[in-house]
Amino acid sequence: MSVPAIQLVGIGKRYGGLQAVESVSLTVAAGERRVLIGPNGAGKTTLFHCVTGTVRATSGSIRLFDTDVTRLDEARRTRLGMGRTFQISNVFMDLTVVENVLLALLGKDRRKWTAYRPLRMYPGLHEEAIAGLSAVGLESRANELVRLLSYGERRQLELALALATAPRVLFLDEPCAGLSPSERQLLSRLISALPRDITLLMIEHDMDVALALADRVTVLHRGKVILEGSPDEVQADPEVREVYFGHV
Amino acid sequence: MDRKLAIVLALVCVAIAALLPLVAGPFWIALLTQMFIFGLLALSVDLLLGHAGLFSLCHAAFFSVAAYTTAILQVRYGVSTALAAPAGIVAGTLLGMLFGLSVRTRGVYFILITIALGYIVWGVAYRWSSFTGGDNGVTNVPRPALAGYGLESMTSYYYFMLAVIVLSLLAYRVLVSSPFGLTLRGIKTSESRMTSVGFRPNRHLYAAFVLSAAIASFAGVLYVYYNRFVNPVSASFPISVEAVLMAIVGGSGTIVGPLLGSGIVLALRNWVSSFFELHAAVMGLVFIAVVLWAPGGLVGLLESFRNGRRPGR
Amino acid sequence: MTTSAILQAINGASLAALLFLLASGFTLSFGLMRVVNMAHGAYYLLGGYVGLTVVRITGSFWLAIFAGGAAIALLGLFIDRVLIRRTGENHLAQVLLTVGIAFVIGDLALWTWGGDNLKVPVPMFLRGAVELPGGIVYPAFRLMLIGIGLVVALLLWLLYHKTQLGAVVRAGVDDREMVAANGIHVDRLFMVVSALASFLAGMAGVVGGAFLTLYPGAEWEILVFALVVVIVGGLGSLEGAMIGALIVGLLDAYGRWLLPEFSYFVLFGPMAILMLFRPTGLFGKAH
Repeated sequence: MSVPAIQLVGIGKRYGGLQAVESVSLTVAAGERRVLIGPNGAGKTTLFHCVTGTVRATSGSIRLFDTDVTRLDEARRTRLGMGRTFQISNVFMDLTVVENVLLALLGKDRRKWTAYRPLRMYPGLHEEAIAGLSAVGLESRANELVRLLSYGERRQLELALALATAPRVLFLDEPCAGLSPSERQLLSRLISALPRDITLLMIEHDMDVALALADRVTVLHRGKVILEGSPDEVQADPEVREVYFGHV
Repeated sequence: MDRKLAIVLALVCVAIAALLPLVAGPFWIALLTQMFIFGLLALSVDLLLGHAGLFSLCHAAFFSVAAYTTAILQVRYGVSTALAAPAGIVAGTLLGMLFGLSVRTRGVYFILITIALGYIVWGVAYRWSSFTGGDNGVTNVPRPALAGYGLESMTSYYYFMLAVIVLSLLAYRVLVSSPFGLTLRGIKTSESRMTSVGFRPNRHLYAAFVLSAAIASFAGVLYVYYNRFVNPVSASFPISVEAVLMAIVGGSGTIVGPLLGSGIVLALRNWVSSFFELHAAVMGLVFIAVVLWAPGGLVGLLESFRNGRRPGR
Repeated sequence: MTTSAILQAINGASLAALLFLLASGFTLSFGLMRVVNMAHGAYYLLGGYVGLTVVRITGSFWLAIFAGGAAIALLGLFIDRVLIRRTGENHLAQVLLTVGIAFVIGDLALWTWGGDNLKVPVPMFLRGAVELPGGIVYPAFRLMLIGIGLVVALLLWLLYHKTQLGAVVRAGVDDREMVAANGIHVDRLFMVVSALASFLAGMAGVVGGAFLTLYPGAEWEILVFALVVVIVGGLGSLEGAMIGALIVGLLDAYGRWLLPEFSYFVLFGPMAILMLFRPTGLFGKAH
């Protein structure tokens, strides 16, 4: 049996008096497409933060393939193969589109310390950045300031940034949030076209997108896992229905 | 700006500067020499401010520590320029490595801490009179000789500084367009994004801080040779503040902005103090005006007029 | 030796009292309004000069304290509403703006009152020395300053913790949006705090001017001390300002006594070390 891509055991995150995430355990197999769903406030984003290292979990352990990353900082986890997008668009607004991807490429690269040579003397890096932009359909906007991009285009860029770090596991936090239907379609197509050597964990609100993409679904409610199963199983489950559409 | 136009403009400026001593009097030569020296100091501040997003108000400390070190070594211990000058730069840089630990803080805390740190140096320069000469400072610093050619005259030091500033700007240009430079701008724009793509911002900020201290120290050494003396005023808070003002007035985040700002601030101060006693008040009004109406500085204003936008964004 | 040590302790305490007057306003301005006001030192100086003029005209020290405070309260209010407000929460802009304002105030003060060291005259009964238990003889004015500091500290503490207004300010320091959402007039709240902070600064100038004297440059020297108090105590914390002032006052007194040439080290050293381990100070909160 191959090593699981992500293994969470008893993850908890407490903020003062609030237990945002409680005792979450889950295992994601390599190459799997796992979708995390749950109502607002269920703790999905907080869970992501704990796993990628944006915040420190108050309890539990996290394994990325065969490495225990619980004690490692976010930068280290990224270098080990975790990539992520944010729920609220987090790109480099005051830089150009291509500079954004260049930074993502430099994150794991020793050359980020070079101070005596202008960037334009690294054509290879530039090509790689443009290739990364082509993959998400943004190469025509390469030299524009991100500030001038539409929200949808920024979401595409967000994906490009995450991919540029060459992740083994990709964490997508509501990648299609706030997008028009056509933009949503574009982004979903990009995501479903991702190769299987990247494991995917996705938070999604849109049930249709989620169920179309997922191999397995984990349902979170009030910080705890209440169900895990195939998309059909989850969709049919009465407790899930109650949580989502339940008592008014 | 169009690349060819920029190169032509730069060459024209250098040519004008080179021909200046032939047409202008000692007042202008002195003013421009100071503009170059303080332009370098403003550049050191702007590396942090305009690129890394750190607002440091202690750079006068590195400037003066370098100046004092070089001065004391040459005047009191008879050390040659070849050793005293690098020693000054090293001393200021070492201080920068110590003060650089403050990059672990952000925002207003960083600002306040740098203010306090800057005052330590000023206080030591002022109170430790047995070593620093207190109020009187260190005097009679000799002008250095470059390859046997003495830089005693105003004009010779001017040409020396002109060469230094041109080379410095070229080096600075490479620095800010390098991967390291982009990294700093990334940190300034979104630190959280930087960590999520694998960077450790504090390390880069520390390196930038030390580098900036080294540049400020370099300016300090050039200053003490020009001025031929140094006193606690060179470590004072108003100097640090002025360096920031120069960077902003000229255009923070640009390459020539700090130099232009230096020229503007020095010229303004000179001009105002010739007919009005309260020049500090005038400087204060300039601060206020820039903050409220032209935060992009001179370069920002020019860009705005070119694009037909209203300045101040 | 012990008498000297006790003497220095009282010196430290009197400086602490002065610093508290200045730092408390600064820290509350930041805590509630997120404003960094580098002109606070200039407020101190100008308040002191105004008080000096009032004493020269009326002969009343107590009136001078009130006048100094009131004048700066008005000035501070004006500057806050007309100028500082336009910088929003941009701390860089605030620092530059208020430093500019401080330059203007400082120069105008220089032009009006000149560059000599001026001392605010104190009432006759405070001019002598008082004999304390243990045979220590100490200037009466400084003892009174400690008294003023304690009284103001107590009043501020009561105001902050025991009144409705204080409760609202505390809530605002904690979460500004919440307070505004609850329909409380945030604007009026800011005005009150701004006026109070400025009043304290001006008042501090008058009492400070009576024993530290007033001179060009004093506004920066006192500001730095106040900054260290606020850094050590933590921005936005009243208790922090109290403890910080005490620490700074004592460190300065003992530093000057034991290592006069390095007194700045004694003062700033612990601050720097504290910064490394606890950047937000003793009682500050990470924002």
